[in-house]
Amino acid sequence: MAVVEREKLLEVKNLKKHFNVGKNAVLKAVDNVSFDIYKGETLGLVGESGCGKSTTGRTIIRLYEATGGNVTFEGKDVHGKKSRKDLKSFNRRMQMIFQDPYASLNPRMTIKDIIAEGIDIHGLAKNDKERMERVYELLETVGLNRAHASRYPHEFSGGQRQRIGIARALAVDPDFIIADEPISALDVSIQAQVVNLMMKLQKERGLTYLFIAHDLSMVKHISDRVGVMYLGNIVELAESDELYEEPLHPYTQALLSAIPVPDPEVERSRERIILEGDLPSPISPPSGCRFRTRCPHAMDVCASKEPKWLEAREGHWVACHLYDNELNTENKQQ
Amino acid sequence: MKNILELNNVNVSFHTFAGEVKAVRGVNLHLEKGESLAIVGESGSGKSVTSKSIMRLLPEKTSEIKEGEILFEGRDLTKLSNREMEKIRGSEISMIFQDPMTSLNPTMTVGKQIMEGLRKHQNLSKNEAKERAINLLKLVGIPNPELRINEYPHQFSGGMRQRVVIAIALACNPKVLIADEPTTALDVTIQAQILDLMRDLQQKTGTAIILITHDLGVVANLSQRVAVMYGGTIVETGTTDEVFYNPKHPYTWGLLSSMPKLNSADKELMAIPGTPPNLLNPPKGCPFAARCPYAMQVCVDNMPDVTDVTSTHKTACWLLDERAPQVEPPEAALVGGAR
Ligand SMILES: Nc1ncnc2c1ncn2[C@@H]1O[C@H](COP(=O)(O)OP(=O)(O)OP(=O)(O)O)[C@@H](O)[C@H]1O
Ligand SMILES: Nc1ncnc2c1ncn2[C@@H]1O[C@H](COP(=O)(O)OP(=O)(O)OP(=O)(O)O)[C@@H](O)[C@H]1O
Ligand code: SF4
Ligand SMILES: [Mg+2]
Ligand SMILES: [Mg+2]
Repeated sequence: MAVVEREKLLEVKNLKKHFNVGKNAVLKAVDNVSFDIYKGETLGLVGESGCGKSTTGRTIIRLYEATGGNVTFEGKDVHGKKSRKDLKSFNRRMQMIFQDPYASLNPRMTIKDIIAEGIDIHGLAKNDKERMERVYELLETVGLNRAHASRYPHEFSGGQRQRIGIARALAVDPDFIIADEPISALDVSIQAQVVNLMMKLQKERGLTYLFIAHDLSMVKHISDRVGVMYLGNIVELAESDELYEEPLHPYTQALLSAIPVPDPEVERSRERIILEGDLPSPISPPSGCRFRTRCPHAMDVCASKEPKWLEAREGHWVACHLYDNELNTENKQQ
Repeated sequence: MKNILELNNVNVSFHTFAGEVKAVRGVNLHLEKGESLAIVGESGSGKSVTSKSIMRLLPEKTSEIKEGEILFEGRDLTKLSNREMEKIRGSEISMIFQDPMTSLNPTMTVGKQIMEGLRKHQNLSKNEAKERAINLLKLVGIPNPELRINEYPHQFSGGMRQRVVIAIALACNPKVLIADEPTTALDVTIQAQILDLMRDLQQKTGTAIILITHDLGVVANLSQRVAVMYGGTIVETGTTDEVFYNPKHPYTWGLLSSMPKLNSADKELMAIPGTPPNLLNPPKGCPFAARCPYAMQVCVDNMPDVTDVTSTHKTACWLLDERAPQVEPPEAALVGGAR
């Protein structure tokens, strides 16, 4: 894959989202996160509960106002002041699918009204007939049928509800979809239905995805590149095969070694890196490298200096002092 | 006697406004001393109801064990009085639930909660119980247990709370430990710690474990035998190797092939179309027939018999009838070194 030729759709630079929690306490949910997303690709975002994945997604789509940094979409600043018209067009082109297929659909609305909400807001249908045509087409696209249009969410299973959520996002013909744990609440056999559907739609419509999840094998399956988050930082980013075959960051290494593989023989012979301790609080994260309190390779410098975001290999980025050549030569000279 | 626990033709129903929900329909299971058995299956397939029926933790007013026996060391638990059951629960058989917060009392110190069971079942003095509580916390890997027994659950992280729950469950050296999704609410790195701990404890204490999960990776990691549930019935059971490397039931094939494999090239996942059966009105034939790509007329009409593939491997599927056509499992269902 020739990375240079690809066109950037979204650029995230030094994104910060801090929450004020109680007296003088600030929770740095997202702190200096930078990455690009290319047109037509899927970028996966993984990491443990509370590391800031959802907050990153929600800040990008402006559900939260950023504390700092910037986001550009096709070269245009997303977070700066915008006219209503620009805002509306931006809202149409960027959509979000949520984790909980139960909570994210209004129980009192019929499926057709849920799906058509965006069509109405953006005036995408000239009349009622055209509106219904679009709804039917969308239902079929996601593997449901016309007869479902006038039913209510509670009459559907989890997987079907997630399809409705996808149809709703697709209704406004977006270019970019942020999918926040779209399959976590579903059974494996149903997860596969939804993932296959998302991949098919991407092919047909050239969609770009930010796919947030904590199931690392599913993320690898769907993503072209994967970013790993820890306590509000991105610690590693690479093409998915490369990341899974040669993880560089000690946290990524531990994370990958911790996933149980559905193969008894592999499990019996596998060496696992078991991390000591628990996730520190994001209100008072460790100084220097945030992972150092659990890192099996931590050095003195890790407590005093934040690691730089380095391109350790072509297209493979990591924030860890182990890969900082300057630092290592400095150390040797001392 | 090898089997410490035996379920024979267990049927459990719930009486609801909508009618009778036949949640568990004719389950046969056995657990040998010191072994670890996993129950896997789709959401709603009856895993939790089966395990709660063993513990007699089902709502008394709305549920009913309609048929069958549950033998613990030869005694039928379904026939015991509540008082007799009370003695067994928590001391001989104990259970861990998915959400560690709901199984801990937020208003009581962690130490008190561990000591409670000890004092109830084992007649220990306060000091003896305290000493044992400290040892248990040490056993499950909580640092500074002497100090931490005086803390409340909210002062512990999610992974540590689950360790406390395990400590409570193990307090009286139970012969059987039922763990219902013990790591589902936890992050992978913490899950790895807990699985490690459970494996270690099983070796040290010889407790037999029933592990309920929907994560086949966890099964491969921890269990010697597996039972696969679907629509309130057990459709396949065998040693972990048999079920992963030589699966016979189409639902097991579907389960194995809908999971992405970390080491395989990106193929389309094989999704199982459709949704599980409605247990208010369960199908009279094979519960999987409506979603099964190989279903024949007989599958719709009649419940398949259990066929012995080996002495340890059993499957309930019409494909194993000698009159049925030969069907090979899909390639996507072949795990790693499947032969
Ligand atoms: N509205 C809010 N106010 C205060 N703190 C918040 C808010 N939203 C999130 N947080 C905190 O920010 C941190 C990151 O949360 P976030 O929801 O982004 O995590 P996540 O990576 O999506 O986790 P999960 O896998 O559990 O969904 C957490 O510590 C969370 O408690
Ligand atoms: N108290 C109840 N009243 C009525 N029906 C119930 C009750 N508890 C469980 N059921 C039904 O019994 C069936 C089996 O439920 P069970 O909780 O055993 O599923 P499970 O296999 O544990 O699923 P999961 O993986 O989602 O935990 C389901 O159809 C469920 O709706
Ligand atoms: S009995 Fe029939 S329907 Fe059921 S799994 Fe076997 S082939 Fe499929
Ligand atoms: Mg989240
Ligand atoms: Mg359950």
